[in-house]
Amino acid sequence: MEILTLEHLTFAYPLCVAPVLKDVSLTVHSGEFAVLCGATGSGKSTLLRLLKREIAPVGEKTGRICYQHTPVEELSAKDSACKIGFVMQNPEQQIVTDKVWHELAFGLENQNLPQDVIARRTAEMASYFGIEHWYEKSVSELSGGQKQLLNLAAVMVMNPEILILDEPTAQLDPIAASDFIATLKKLNDDFGLTVLIVEHRLEELIPICDRLIVLKNGCVLHDGDPRAVVAGLEEDSELLRAMPSAARLYHALGASGECPLTVREGRKFLERHFDNRVRALPRDEVRTKTNPALDFENVYFRYGRELSDVLCGLTLTVYENEIFCILGGNGSGKTTSLSVAAGLCRPYGGRVKVFGKKLQDYKNQSLYCGCLSLLPQDVQTVFLKNTVREELSDAGAEADALPFDLSALLDKHPYDLSGGEQQLVALAKVLATKPRLLLMDEPTKGLDADKKAAIISILKRLKAEGVTVVIVTHDVEFCAQCADRCALFFRGNIVSHGAPDAFFSENTFYTTAASRMSKGYYERAVTVEDVATLCRRNRRDVT
Amino acid sequence: MKALEAYHPAVSAVYFLAVAGIAMFCMNPILQALSLFGALLLFLSNSRNRSVSSHAGFLLLFLLFALLNPLFSHNGATVLFVLNNNPVTLESAVYGLVAAGMILAVLYWFRSFTQIMTSDKLLYLFGKLSPKLSLILSMGLRYVPLFQSQVKKIRATQTALGLYKEDNLIDRVRGELRVFSITVTWALENGITTADSMEARGYGIGKRSHFSLFRFRLRDGIFLAITLVLFGLACVSICTGALEFTCYPTLQWAAASPTGAVGYLAYGGLVLMPAVLETEERIKWKYLRSSI
Repeated sequence: MEILTLEHLTFAYPLCVAPVLKDVSLTVHSGEFAVLCGATGSGKSTLLRLLKREIAPVGEKTGRICYQHTPVEELSAKDSACKIGFVMQNPEQQIVTDKVWHELAFGLENQNLPQDVIARRTAEMASYFGIEHWYEKSVSELSGGQKQLLNLAAVMVMNPEILILDEPTAQLDPIAASDFIATLKKLNDDFGLTVLIVEHRLEELIPICDRLIVLKNGCVLHDGDPRAVVAGLEEDSELLRAMPSAARLYHALGASGECPLTVREGRKFLERHFDNRVRALPRDEVRTKTNPALDFENVYFRYGRELSDVLCGLTLTVYENEIFCILGGNGSGKTTSLSVAAGLCRPYGGRVKVFGKKLQDYKNQSLYCGCLSLLPQDVQTVFLKNTVREELSDAGAEADALPFDLSALLDKHPYDLSGGEQQLVALAKVLATKPRLLLMDEPTKGLDADKKAAIISILKRLKAEGVTVVIVTHDVEFCAQCADRCALFFRGNIVSHGAPDAFFSENTFYTTAASRMSKGYYERAVTVEDVATLCRRNRRDVT
Repeated sequence: MKALEAYHPAVSAVYFLAVAGIAMFCMNPILQALSLFGALLLFLSNSRNRSVSSHAGFLLLFLLFALLNPLFSHNGATVLFVLNNNPVTLESAVYGLVAAGMILAVLYWFRSFTQIMTSDKLLYLFGKLSPKLSLILSMGLRYVPLFQSQVKKIRATQTALGLYKEDNLIDRVRGELRVFSITVTWALENGITTADSMEARGYGIGKRSHFSLFRFRLRDGIFLAITLVLFGLACVSICTGALEFTCYPTLQWAAASPTGAVGYLAYGGLVLMPAVLETEERIKWKYLRSSI
């Protein structure tokens, strides 16, 4: 049964000539798990918002959107609010009240339900989602993943029949993100809940969805079974970069037949079609050690006297002119180590040296002038002005001198930019201080594959100019592509480090999909490109 | 005292109003002594912070009030001694002591009040008055810490960017103003998403109900009834003048009477209720544990 039908939907924002959506016709069936993807600006978010009457954007709309054969405009206020659940990107901003239980009850209070009904439904939801033990907490105490789970539960408590999600995992770390996706799958399996999701991170979503819809410039480009759609994508397109590693490998090799989507299928695909006579790629990795740029020596730090250590005897050396990536779980002290390096937190034991000079010896802000700069995780905190132009001139950055083009964004408010654009503008502002040591906290959070590639090329350029970069990240694929050395943080200390190929091939769990796919078959292959190159050398002779 | 915390917010609120109300409006030394004793007992057993320093300020305040009155007010018939040609009288010393005791007691009652009546309890009580008001308060309670943490984050980021020098006052004020202005913008931006999220969940489609975790149980009723009865008895006793005490011109007690005795006993009972509850609970647990 169709639950949602779009007929010839065309939509244009006011004062815009070109429509964002052009003649989109789609049908979502009850119980489907559908993924909607497309490049930034392809109209995904607009499409989703149009489906939910309360938050639909204003503009010129033609065509029809029907929920169970009723146009959405004609649904009763209560049905429209309850039957169509909507979860947005930012976990923090969606939360309305101060306590977990109150947030769960919010939607039910709006329907004027009696106390005992609310008590039962919130209790049911809390048990199902496993939020019982933080039911009475303040929302400010929760982690990002917990907040997003709370947002989901607060929508589910209203018994929606279709759940629409707009990049719900973009702000989460990978572990919280895969938990969230697993919860969605469980809801879909357990209750036949229809799910329509827009997401950039497709590695885990594609294998579990039953339908993949690709939007391009406001038109539906592909729509159908995910395997067929992925196999039919154009070579080297932006969309392909967002696809699971196995599928990218399939495309990189120009293979035909069934397209692998998961690591397991990718492994089978390798074994079936390729030999492993050549097991490893030759490496040219004799790096001469340069001077240390950042030096931690036995550093101890904690946020309060009665709290436990966040950094626990951290010893770490980053050499000049390298890209050093720090990986690790939440709360392992990664971000804190950057704050300590930037002089924002003072360790109670140990020594931190920047370019061979103790941190305390940098007087009067000299540390921040032409020496060290920190790009925080929340890049919005970098902005102080009303337009990008003012922002750049305030920092003394010249738009022409940047390694990337911002000219199209100059007159916009920084908060109106997309996540990727904000990242670039913030980076421009940080680079204006001409740092020799650049510290970055989660630079790829919430970015699509294209922006991620842009960041990687910028980093490589900076490195060529002699800048040392230290990156804290959760994104293993990103590390594998750009790092010179990687380190794993665990409980306030570094437990292992090395060049990415050695580092990731030694790790079993904390590693890239390509490495998991090729482990034991090939050695030291950590990116899809590595595996593809090896495969080309191992082509089976057609007999 | 965990015992009082577990009661219904309305019950705890009524208890505090009753006990502090009497303490505020009746200048009787015995009543004040009872009140101070009860307030200290509740606070000390309730508070996790037993450091002396948190009480030092209050003790200083007490001494200040108790000493200032006889030094500045020279009413009263009994002169104790003469200081700089000014008589210091017994009456004004007693008055100072009683008044200081009252202030101290009320302060301690309120310290316990803020510990026991947490934000969600107050919110619940306001919610009874108006569901809208309670939602606004709840959102406020969420936004204030969010705003503060954002200001902190922006400040750290801007420091690390080295854009604002902190060595001169004008620069620092200008920097702070900019941080404040962008945080307001940020909060407004934030508010749009929150409003969307509220509307998407049906806010504004009609009348709202109000959900809370608190239930009014039998023991809440009993506690409330006892509180009201004791409060009533004490009030009657005060109104009939049986607890009358005047300092000036000479110290004057109302004649001892059964009504007076009832008043003292009732207020004493009221003040000790949390302690009684606590003891009862302890005994119950001890018994339970030994029987398991």
